[in-house]
Amino acid sequence: MNDYKNKRVPPDWCPGCGNFAQLSAITMALAELKIDPKDVVVASGIGCSSNMPEFLNTYGYHGLHGRLLPFASGVKWANSKLTVIAYGGDGDGFFEGTQHFFHTAKRNVDITYMVSDNQVFGLTTGQASPTAPIGLRTKTTPDGNIETPFNPITFALNAGATFVARGFSGDIKHLKELTVKAIKHKGFSFIDVLSPCVTWNKENSYEYFRPRVYHLEGNDVTNFDQAYKLGLEWGDKIPIGVFYEVERPTYEDLDEVLKDGPLIDQKIHQLTEDDLEEFA
Amino acid sequence: MKQNEVIIRVAGAAGDGVQSAGEILIRTFARSGLYATSYNYYQDIIRGGESWYQVRASDEKVKNQGDGLDVLIALNLDGVERHTNPEINEGGASPLGKDGVAIFDSSIKNYTKRETNYCPIPLSDIASKYSKNPLLKNTVGLGAAIAAIGIDFDILAGVIRDQFGKKGDIAEANVKAAKEGYDYYLANYKPLGKKFKYGKKKYMLSGGMSVALGAVAGGLKMYVAYPMTPASSALHFLAQHAKKYGVFVKIPEDEISAINTTIGANYAGVRAMTGSSGGGFALMTEAVGLAGMTEVPIVIYEAQRPGPSTGLPTKTEQGDLNQVLGASQGDFPRIVFAPGDIEEAFYITREAMNLAEKYQTPVFVMSDLYLAEHYDTLDGLDLNFKIDNGERAKDNEEDYKRYLITDTGISPRAIPGQAGLMHNEDSDEHNEYGDVVSDAITNPIDRIKMMQKRMRKLDTYIEEMPPTPTYKISDAEYVIIQWGSTKGAVEEAIDILRSKGIKIGAIEVKNVFPLNPDIGSLLKNRKKIFAVENNYSGQLSKYIAAQFLIKPELITKYDGEAFYPGALANEIEIRIGKKKEVIKE
Repeated sequence: MNDYKNKRVPPDWCPGCGNFAQLSAITMALAELKIDPKDVVVASGIGCSSNMPEFLNTYGYHGLHGRLLPFASGVKWANSKLTVIAYGGDGDGFFEGTQHFFHTAKRNVDITYMVSDNQVFGLTTGQASPTAPIGLRTKTTPDGNIETPFNPITFALNAGATFVARGFSGDIKHLKELTVKAIKHKGFSFIDVLSPCVTWNKENSYEYFRPRVYHLEGNDVTNFDQAYKLGLEWGDKIPIGVFYEVERPTYEDLDEVLKDGPLIDQKIHQLTEDDLEEFA
Repeated sequence: MKQNEVIIRVAGAAGDGVQSAGEILIRTFARSGLYATSYNYYQDIIRGGESWYQVRASDEKVKNQGDGLDVLIALNLDGVERHTNPEINEGGASPLGKDGVAIFDSSIKNYTKRETNYCPIPLSDIASKYSKNPLLKNTVGLGAAIAAIGIDFDILAGVIRDQFGKKGDIAEANVKAAKEGYDYYLANYKPLGKKFKYGKKKYMLSGGMSVALGAVAGGLKMYVAYPMTPASSALHFLAQHAKKYGVFVKIPEDEISAINTTIGANYAGVRAMTGSSGGGFALMTEAVGLAGMTEVPIVIYEAQRPGPSTGLPTKTEQGDLNQVLGASQGDFPRIVFAPGDIEEAFYITREAMNLAEKYQTPVFVMSDLYLAEHYDTLDGLDLNFKIDNGERAKDNEEDYKRYLITDTGISPRAIPGQAGLMHNEDSDEHNEYGDVVSDAITNPIDRIKMMQKRMRKLDTYIEEMPPTPTYKISDAEYVIIQWGSTKGAVEEAIDILRSKGIKIGAIEVKNVFPLNPDIGSLLKNRKKIFAVENNYSGQLSKYIAAQFLIKPELITKYDGEAFYPGALANEIEIRIGKKKEVIKE
């Protein structure tokens, strides 16, 4: 596991931050799957969570706020041999990144998208995020949030994601198992991780989630309607686990050019005089 | 009117098949062994509205749409009126004069008679013999026009057959209809008596196609772009050739996605490119800086159209230079090219692919609607080219530093999948390893070193820049500064002025950023320096003025059309005091 951690740069998240659990889940999952660090690209957006690639001994790219999925898609389309993990936050991915989330899921690009969901903006000092519950008091919602929270699970299902799951930073072992499944899944895999922000969100804390979360067991993961219904469940009981998993050809499987193998291995077309005849 | 040159215009409403008729014409000239170029005047609607398509052909190279008009094919009354009325210079184009011929349907009657040879032909009646499709009358008109010009009918027939290749009967019906138009013209009217020296058949490309083809020649494997006129001609061409050339082509959800996907692919070691026009490019600008900061190669095709905002979607302008030079926050190296014609578009884009990878920074190829959408002929292309992947790190290199500080500013790259070179590339300021320097410990020294390292790439690049291209400059008293697609009109204006004894030449600013230092000496000791730009404020001129401390006199055009050589020559003659301005009431 140590092989997957950057020995030069230790994580600089606040003590107790939910992101630590995800760092462990990712490194443990890669170790379990025996994926060579050189074949892994972790792409991120901007925010506390998005510092993740820096703490890993894989190939990492810390890009722009909300834009990790297009970047990750470009990497995957260039070299489908790579394991591509897009790692971001809820502000990052569900505000500016929403339409990329929708379309990447719809395309079923074979990447794993993990979101550290703490319902606030951390790095910009605690404003309400798209998943902030109604009534949450933050710097930007001093009278309490009045906007209906974004539901990442039903959104991903609507978009056509082929793997939809929810994890919890207070349950690392379970989160690691989900991460393993998500990486193994061929197609777009989404894990929304309930990940307390110990600094800016005192309401949605470990203590808040711990008695509420329960493991999904025995649900038919191929049943869309059931997955959708479970996705709407929120309150005293909050399901974590795999909501939905089906097989569907990936974008890479279907594209006329990509299906001939990793783009990086395909020969560059050498223009010839014969090619020019088309323009005569 | 030159005997070895013809200017022909097809005019009608959008949806009348004006453009496809025009394209058949230019291809016919190209296959005949003539040089040809085209000009497309259209509006932002799919049906209705008046449009025209002009083709200029000659046995000598033609550099632009030219002045004058010899043959008009008018598909409606408006087309006859508009293009034979000396009071109307649509888009700066000359109307048909007394030597020209106007071909139109005999059913069009109520036109105003002016000094022109009117040649009504029963286009619709002939067409209806072969098909119910009213568009067939264009083909009859094309046949008649070819007869007027004196081109071999079989060449037109071949082009028509290729055009309708997949629909055998339709192709033959069109060929027969064209032949009848051809015969009708010769039986009733006099040909123009053109005398061409036919050469070898030519190739025909639009600027957008040429940029795309140049990128392919430069190793392109991925093109991700959102549709926007006039960048779309490159997108369409690549989509149609995706399988043949092994280029993955994708329209994503927006331009932001397009550029970030392209950066991802280049980061992973595949040559990828994106393209758009001003408004779409505006959305990409944040990611331009990302590529600059993380030192990922990227080629961006920026095809300008008049702005601001949605502007004139189907017209031409060079108004995005400030935007391209200023795209994204902060200082970082970029290279900006502006090809002047279709040939340059090919070679420059191909070279841009190498330079992006060598310098690991954004490289722009700027064009505009005129260059992107008009067709031009070529004798051929030099296909010899060596792909240069720049400096790459060797696997398992000890203590690998992605952003190693070097004299050239260039650090060896590692590509995901390479063993032992794992690292992080960061949009935050970072040290040589790629570790962020803004968070845990603020490190101003690393910041300064890293800024200097990145910016040094420009100095390295300036060293290898080829000299600024010039036109008839050695004895020139007057010099025109010109960039991009104005090249053809400027050079022809210079020829016109030189024939009147005016010593004038031009420099072509192909390297728009960084500027070539040789510009300073090229402009020294001249009587006057003009800057010809297809925009309002003289964007390039201001930028050159600031760098070389000179004051060019601006000649601008921002009506949405390209420069016409005759009008430009006239303007310059007035400005240098050789001719009095005629003010029309």
